[in-house]
Amino acid sequence: MATSTPSTARRPGRNRSVEATRSRTAIWLLLPTIIVLALVAGYPLLRTIYLSFTEYNINTDPAPKGIGFDNYAFRLDDGTLSGLLTDPQWWQAVWTTVKFTVSSVVLETLLGLGMALVINSKFRARGLLRTAILVPWAVPTVVSAQMWNWMYQDNFGIISQWGRSLGLLEAGQSFVANPNTALGALVAVDVWKTAPFMALLILAGLQSIPSDMYEAADVDGASKVRQFFRLTLPLLTPALLVALIFRTLDALRVFDMPYIVKGNAPETMTMSIYARQQMIDNAQFGYGSAVSVLIFLIIMIFTVIYVTSLRVRFD
Amino acid sequence: MTTTSTSPAVRARRGFHTRRWLLTLLTYLITAVFLFPLAWMILAAFKTEAQAFATPPVVLFTPTLDNFHRAWGAYLPALTNSLVAALGSTLLAFVLGLPAAFALAVYPTRRAQGVLTWMLSTKFMPAVGVIVPLFLLFRNLHLLDTLPGLILMYTTMNLPLVVWMMHSYLTEIPAAIYEAAKVDGASVGQEFFRIALPLSMPGISATALLALIFAWNEVFFALNLTSSAAAPLSVFIGQFKTSQGLFWAQLSAAATLTVLPVLVFGWIAQRQLIRGLSFGAVK
Repeated sequence: MATSTPSTARRPGRNRSVEATRSRTAIWLLLPTIIVLALVAGYPLLRTIYLSFTEYNINTDPAPKGIGFDNYAFRLDDGTLSGLLTDPQWWQAVWTTVKFTVSSVVLETLLGLGMALVINSKFRARGLLRTAILVPWAVPTVVSAQMWNWMYQDNFGIISQWGRSLGLLEAGQSFVANPNTALGALVAVDVWKTAPFMALLILAGLQSIPSDMYEAADVDGASKVRQFFRLTLPLLTPALLVALIFRTLDALRVFDMPYIVKGNAPETMTMSIYARQQMIDNAQFGYGSAVSVLIFLIIMIFTVIYVTSLRVRFD
Repeated sequence: MTTTSTSPAVRARRGFHTRRWLLTLLTYLITAVFLFPLAWMILAAFKTEAQAFATPPVVLFTPTLDNFHRAWGAYLPALTNSLVAALGSTLLAFVLGLPAAFALAVYPTRRAQGVLTWMLSTKFMPAVGVIVPLFLLFRNLHLLDTLPGLILMYTTMNLPLVVWMMHSYLTEIPAAIYEAAKVDGASVGQEFFRIALPLSMPGISATALLALIFAWNEVFFALNLTSSAAAPLSVFIGQFKTSQGLFWAQLSAAATLTVLPVLVFGWIAQRQLIRGLSFGAVK
């Protein structure tokens, strides 16, 4: 711990040594987190990267066998390339995941922003809304996925019944069974579930904007719209960015909701579902690990794009 | 506000009233849309299986508690596990993550950005990709199907979020406040407990709520790292589905029991949360 002598600030020599002590303290504050993350998150990650360079069927092989990059790509006898990087099913899963992520994150951010702005303004019944919007997100995914699955069910599902009475669906059909609308139906579930998460994060950001700034803007005669774009949005950016990054990361790895509703169906197979299929259903551990490593890389690229293009500042 | 003539002020007030009513109406509408699926499920929990599958849907019926009776036995142990895992992991994530975020925000070195990105990178890999190495690690550490194991897992899962969120809140605190404290000879500990902690309270309550719910809802790790002794509510729901086939009314009852603590907690928390958010304004 740093000393608490009151006069240190005036003496540069002492000051530097105090600064050094403070930096050392900072490292000790950081260390426990780094150790836990390295053990529980870092170790399995490195192990999976190692396994991606091996052939390992967990049912038949006693131990992983090193095969270099063959899981990713290798040349067949006739000279054509094969492996994960040439697998159309994999690229289909990538494309599905990207479509899912972009549409759900955009809708969730806009809806979440709207909700947060409404909750933040003074009006009747805001307490009701405050409680209500938290509920969908607080319902465990296992429950909400089953719940929506049931509402989407083709015969007795209530959404299908509405769809039929509106003339959007024919008898025996459902939005989630039709390959053309299935992904959209899943995005709707995800938006319903996760817009409250965005609203909560944005609301916390809104609350920390000092109200005297708005008073000053009112005095200057700035319109509400102008205040939103010139004042609210810029001040909200840091909170919004953190929310966006974590939301995008989770959406790119989405697994449980689409898996519970659609299983291994190709039209809604996300990258994580594909990885599970290779690893668990096909017992191809090395190949499945290679899939996981590619997902890791794709998500890393997304994050780098976010951090650089939106200029997340760290200090 | 002082106005020279009355008519524009009155007109403005009338406009304000209409807007307020529209806003209130819109609020009720949004609330209804968001709560409908849940209400529909809770309703189904009180139906018989035949009523739950009826076309057109049954709205008026004699409620039955049979579904709850059948779910009750396995519910209490799972509820205890969920509570311990969610609260324990959130507490641990803050004990570890808050000092780390403080160190990164207040003593930023050239490595701070790298450390933050590295923490985020633990969320790049899909859960299914790391589950087998994780399973083996937990087996070697004798953490399988134990509550400390589940707490450790959820702490790891939430740590990057806690550090990132708290880092963004802590950097909002003006450096001048720390400078002033430094001149007064405050130690690092005093800066943490006297300045950072009280001023970031709104951020702490919002982030804690997120961490709690993430832990409460997690299912993949719970399914793979616990079996019975430490199985939380998310596993309890899953067991219902597989062992009983698709009995919707019964599943609804189990799901309703799972959601109930969240509803109660959410109702209490939202008041605290918003109060915390508005009291703790930094500037």
